[in-house]
Amino acid sequence: MPSYVYRGQQINISDADTEYKGYFEAAAEHRLVVKKCLDCGLLRGEPGPGCPWCTSLHWEWNQVSGKGTIYSYQIVAHTVVPSFRDWAPFAIVLVELDEQSGQPDQYDGLRITANLVDESMEPEKEENVAIGKRVEVAFLDGEDGFTLPQFRLIDEPPKGTVWRHQL
Amino acid sequence: MNTSLRGKYCIAGVGETEFSRGSNRTTRAMGAEAIRNAMNDAGLKPEDVDGMLSYHGGDSTPSTSIMYDLGLRPNFYMDCSGGGSSTEALVGLAMGAIEAGMADTVAIFRSMNGYSQMRIGGTGVRAASPITGIDLLKRPYGMISAVQQFSFTFTRHMMEYGVKNEDLAHIKVAHSNHASNNPKALMKQRVTVEDVMNSRWIIRPVAHLLDCCLETDNATCVIVTSAERARDLKQKPVYILGVQGRGTKPGGDFHYQHGPISRVAGYYVGPRVFELAGVTHDDVDVTGCYDAFTYTALLQFEDYGWCEKGEGKDYVTSGIINLGGRRPNNTSGGHLCEAYTHGMNMVIENVRQLRGTVDDYCPQALEGVHTYDYSEGHCRQVRDAEVSMNMGWGTPAVGSSLIMRR
Repeated sequence: MPSYVYRGQQINISDADTEYKGYFEAAAEHRLVVKKCLDCGLLRGEPGPGCPWCTSLHWEWNQVSGKGTIYSYQIVAHTVVPSFRDWAPFAIVLVELDEQSGQPDQYDGLRITANLVDESMEPEKEENVAIGKRVEVAFLDGEDGFTLPQFRLIDEPPKGTVWRHQL
Repeated sequence: MNTSLRGKYCIAGVGETEFSRGSNRTTRAMGAEAIRNAMNDAGLKPEDVDGMLSYHGGDSTPSTSIMYDLGLRPNFYMDCSGGGSSTEALVGLAMGAIEAGMADTVAIFRSMNGYSQMRIGGTGVRAASPITGIDLLKRPYGMISAVQQFSFTFTRHMMEYGVKNEDLAHIKVAHSNHASNNPKALMKQRVTVEDVMNSRWIIRPVAHLLDCCLETDNATCVIVTSAERARDLKQKPVYILGVQGRGTKPGGDFHYQHGPISRVAGYYVGPRVFELAGVTHDDVDVTGCYDAFTYTALLQFEDYGWCEKGEGKDYVTSGIINLGGRRPNNTSGGHLCEAYTHGMNMVIENVRQLRGTVDDYCPQALEGVHTYDYSEGHCRQVRDAEVSMNMGWGTPAVGSSLIMRR
């Protein structure tokens, strides 16, 4: 079973992991993938074994553009994970990918969790984190072969309302 | 919908251990004490209790150990995986087991060293364990604690409906006022909105330290039996009118893939439990709305229909939820101030409210004599409480509810 260490945390991805192994293998090749149903053709944002819309168990990994919009966020001011203390405060964002946004239902979207990072892969400044801002995937390569998809702000007009909490 | 069991079952006994941060004993020792306290409360002997149900997150002791500690020999037991919102659901399962002829009287317990051993907030054991499966998309990003799992929902709701941190703080203030009249409460000190706002940030923009519940070592128990049996026991029966859950919103663990993201499971659970119980919102005198964080209570008030969507901030700042208000919430202090128990303390509190014997500082509280002076260090009995409602929370996608009548 491949085992990695990232920020002091042990990461185990089993060879028999049908949900997440392919996702991280693609990430190591700097490709962001989601599962695509081979029957109804819809993508899904979380890589489960079955299609939420047609129950088909047939799927393939499908590369997406890696571009999206911040849908929600949290700023971790206090972390309970010791190896993240030097990062706090840092942002965790919920990114809605461009593909299939608002489909098949107006409330659906392919939404992925990541940190919002800057050019040097360090946490983006808190004042730059806002719902509606445009982002693109950036791959953080570890020395032991583990690659973590992250997201960075890009210079594109925002999508919808731009909102961040005024403290 | 099968409404034939309405009022047919009761909660006949309730009990708990001390709420502490450092129990210095096992979950077995605490579980046995809580069940024993509930048995004594009901006036039940070991041979009278022939069912056991528990819920846990790999942090408790199985029924098969604790049964011998109290001389029980269950005809039925199950230890279920689950956290918040399990209490209400297990009350329903206990009724089902009795109805199926599998047992006659069922003790439901939860035992957890939630502060000194497996911390609910994620510190220690949980944060040190290897990352696999679903956690691969969360923990590598520093996302592990409960408030983090819920925060995308909270933040988005804040944007959509203009909730301010001051609004949330009012929930903590109300519950702290209630806890100041609860000798058992871990945090009895009354706090102000400013105290909450000045406590350190945990997750911006949705939770200061005082918006978060209290990790606690404790065990709790409620005992379910038929109304017929309950009427022969020691306490005034508290009738179960309706129970639902654990009900879900679309997506389950992956509810962020679907929406509306600011909607929680109560949207689905609420109409069913009211229909089952045969009561309306106006009939309810006291609520137990799960306050793992101030925001969980606010979201549930909205989606259970105590106010319109987006008006939760007005509901929690209006005084309705305070003792002396129209419908006090979490009169024990709840998870924010009494103790974090994964929901059972709020059910226990409502049972005592409906009996009229809440254990406050009134000298004859246990005989049902109260002053209704809600100032600090006095009474927390709701006057003439007839109907209560609990709203349990597991995640934004998971909830349960229980309506009871005296």
